[in-house]
Amino acid sequence: MSLLGFLAAHSKLFDQIGIDALLALSLSLSLRAGQLALAQAAFMGIAAYVGSIGSLVAHWNLAESLIAGPLAAALVAALLALPIGRLQGVFLAIATVAFGEIARIVEINLPITGGAEGLSNIPNDAGTFLIYAMLLACAGGVWALQAGSRSFALAMAATREDEHAARTIGIDVARVRILTLVLGAAIAGIAGVLYAHANFFITPEDFGFTRMEQILVSCVIGGVTSSLGAIFGSAFLTVLPETIRFLHQYREVSIGVILLAVILFAPSGIAGLWKRR
Amino acid sequence: MLIQQLVNGLFSGSLYALFAVGYTLVFGVLDILNLAHAAIFTAAAFSALALTAAGFPLPLALACAIVFAGILGILLDRVAFAPLRRRNAGTLVPLISSIGVAIVIRGIIRGIWGSDELRFGNFGSMPPFHVGGLTFGILDLVVLTSSLLLVAILSFVLRATTFGRNVRAVAQDRVAAALLGIDIERTIWMTFFLASALGGAAGILTGLQFNSVSVDMGAKIELKGLAVIVLGGMGSVSGAVLGALLIGIVESLSVAYISSNFRDAIAFLVMFLILILRPQGLFGRRAQRTG
Amino acid sequence: MRSFSLVAAAALTLVASTSVLSAEPAPKAQVTVGVIVDAGGSAGAYGTAQRNAVELAVDDIRNGLIDTGKSNLTFDIEDAASDPAQVVSLTQKFATDNTALLIGPTLSSEAFKSDPIAVRAGLPVLAISNTAHGIPEQGPSVFRDSLAEEQVVPEAVKSVKKILHPKTAAIIYGDDNAFTKTDFQIFQDSLTKEGIKVVDIETYHTGDVDFKPQLTKIASFSPDLLVVGSIVSEAVKIIPQAKQVGITSHIIGGNGLNSPKLIQIADKDAEGVVVGAAYDAANTYPGNAGFVTRYTKRFGTSPDQFAAQAYAGVQIVAYTVKSGATSRENIAEQMLANRGIPTVLGRFSFTQTRDADAPSAIMQVHNGTFVSFK
Repeated sequence: MSLLGFLAAHSKLFDQIGIDALLALSLSLSLRAGQLALAQAAFMGIAAYVGSIGSLVAHWNLAESLIAGPLAAALVAALLALPIGRLQGVFLAIATVAFGEIARIVEINLPITGGAEGLSNIPNDAGTFLIYAMLLACAGGVWALQAGSRSFALAMAATREDEHAARTIGIDVARVRILTLVLGAAIAGIAGVLYAHANFFITPEDFGFTRMEQILVSCVIGGVTSSLGAIFGSAFLTVLPETIRFLHQYREVSIGVILLAVILFAPSGIAGLWKRR
Repeated sequence: MLIQQLVNGLFSGSLYALFAVGYTLVFGVLDILNLAHAAIFTAAAFSALALTAAGFPLPLALACAIVFAGILGILLDRVAFAPLRRRNAGTLVPLISSIGVAIVIRGIIRGIWGSDELRFGNFGSMPPFHVGGLTFGILDLVVLTSSLLLVAILSFVLRATTFGRNVRAVAQDRVAAALLGIDIERTIWMTFFLASALGGAAGILTGLQFNSVSVDMGAKIELKGLAVIVLGGMGSVSGAVLGALLIGIVESLSVAYISSNFRDAIAFLVMFLILILRPQGLFGRRAQRTG
Repeated sequence: MRSFSLVAAAALTLVASTSVLSAEPAPKAQVTVGVIVDAGGSAGAYGTAQRNAVELAVDDIRNGLIDTGKSNLTFDIEDAASDPAQVVSLTQKFATDNTALLIGPTLSSEAFKSDPIAVRAGLPVLAISNTAHGIPEQGPSVFRDSLAEEQVVPEAVKSVKKILHPKTAAIIYGDDNAFTKTDFQIFQDSLTKEGIKVVDIETYHTGDVDFKPQLTKIASFSPDLLVVGSIVSEAVKIIPQAKQVGITSHIIGGNGLNSPKLIQIADKDAEGVVVGAAYDAANTYPGNAGFVTRYTKRFGTSPDQFAAQAYAGVQIVAYTVKSGATSRENIAEQMLANRGIPTVLGRFSFTQTRDADAPSAIMQVHNGTFVSFK
């Protein structure tokens, strides 16, 4: 099969990789600041719904959805950042998971979201090219942020290492936390709108804890320290189930084993990331 | 109907309690959220199922499955947590590590038994009891008494045995406990044995009560369990019990008097509010770790 | 050299003549059908039956029991394990290779995600178990041989009213599944039309195991009829728990309850449950008895509605292909034009809107098996 033929036949797969990479990228922002904020799936969902409802009801085009969706997600993130601002470590993780579940249940019960049946017939106009363009743009943006503003990069690293100590040397930890959450939400929002427009149909279940777990796993496996890691991790996790079909029911095990192996034996990025005591 | 709903809540709450005490115990001792607890819950149910299918009498199968769950817990610690402890990896990395183990355990279960729902042999339809206008099945009673009994045993162990004292010492201050000569590693893996055995018991009882065992059976209780330990206070066993019963009852009542749509949302709302307003929950000691 | 070219010419002539002499008649048309079912996962109970039926049908084709005319009909059966992402990816695979028709997927919620891909590629789809509202409406080549809930439920409610005379009803349904929600709406409409008062409506979420709070509330209304709008994995818990909290109402459900698993697991509690179905294994349509015998012999259990609709799907495709249609466009055209195809569901045609035109079968659990409801 020609290369184009191959790409065409597997375009859905490539789309998925691109979208998953965006999500992993969004989570990596929080992780690099030491925040285990597990709300990306929920932000993705919020943006996906806002964008889809907009295009179905108000006939927005894709560009408008791509602006409104992430904006909505970022807004919610900003609001969320206030009450969870003082939570740390595991407590932050749990609070964000709770938030995700509440968001999902709200999506199931609001009539405008189509409830559990979800929304269908979303205009299918997000192509592979656009997805990767956005991925590049976001990855570029993140890199620019880190490289361009040395003080911010330092602030993130310090916050990750030891929040208490960081505060004592004058770093505005709250700002770091809010910024990474909001920016991450925007990126997750972009992924959400693209997801909605690349598939024809979204349901609240698409944005639940299972998705969140998936994002976390691809982030960890790929390596949290670089945007490239995000892409690698999601490519790996998306392609793996397809290639190991022959393992039939044992596919899941291999993903778990790989995750464990990465944590136990290739931890330099990860352990260095969360060295807290 | 009110009393019946309260009783319903008590029954479901007792299962939440049995699950949650193991969760909170590990957190109290190690500050780790063990997300493989639900997978061990499920594995225990499947092993009990396999043993009864192989001809073991039910009580023996249950006992063996509970012990098996405990052993899984020890394995979990040795494989996923102990190496990280040696590396001083903190508390978030083990969380992810536990997710890895959970995926492996679920994957193995799915590999052996597939994704279908299985059931324990044929219990036949046992007629329900009617006592003073209330209705409940015999299994409900069995589950309630077993849960309370197991939790009582745990409390006794923690309060009155040397091991229990060691656990509480390590939970309080690991360094000081080491200085006192307590064998930390041994205390830890014994804690895992206990916590996982209880979690496994919860799984077996859940499988029995609803006569349903499937690889995803741990998903709901995993998240509800989180709500319970947050409400009760992370690390507090009595908090977990109280929190569990409370959440079970509130859920039941919400169905009766509000609407069944939001039954699951209750637990998460409670969780979220507690974390924001009173992170230490009802009886927790530590609110958040600072640094 | 002359002798060489002579020998070469002779050899060539020989080869040419033998190939002419031994030329076969025009080679059989190769028609590949893609099949996507959930043989594992939450819908595994349904998908396994479907896969079994298709495998049996493949053998029946080989043994001449199903006629495919001059075409060679092959099936590529894939298991999506109840994962919508896999359904989508498999659909795309079939859409872009030379598959002529797609059978499946198992769940309506999956179909809404994957059928549009097939529609865009012009790949005709034959749904064999999607019963939610709006499936064929997705495209001019989307068909279904499974009776929609809106075709079966009103019949079921009419029968129940005639035979059991209920005055009040309560409904419990899953609020997070396209199929169970459809079930609920249609039951509610039908009950109201028949003058049966709906006194309570309760919901649950997929995966719930404890329904006592909702059922206790329903019990306090003492309805004559309890409608269970769920798929089998929840129904087998709801029904015994209903008995446990003391509900004595007659129980009725839609397509989701139509599975031998209901009886297998809920046992005596399932006695008397009325189900709106599209298949009665005891029907006397030609070919059905043989199908039931062969299926039972090979798989150890009698075929349920999902198996029957899957098998009928193959019969429909075979009939279509036998009529000469072998390309995607021709197949879609021909399917619509076919009238009265003999299948295990009875004589089958598609309506103008590509839904199934076939009789429904209202069943009741009696002494441990499904029998016709009278």
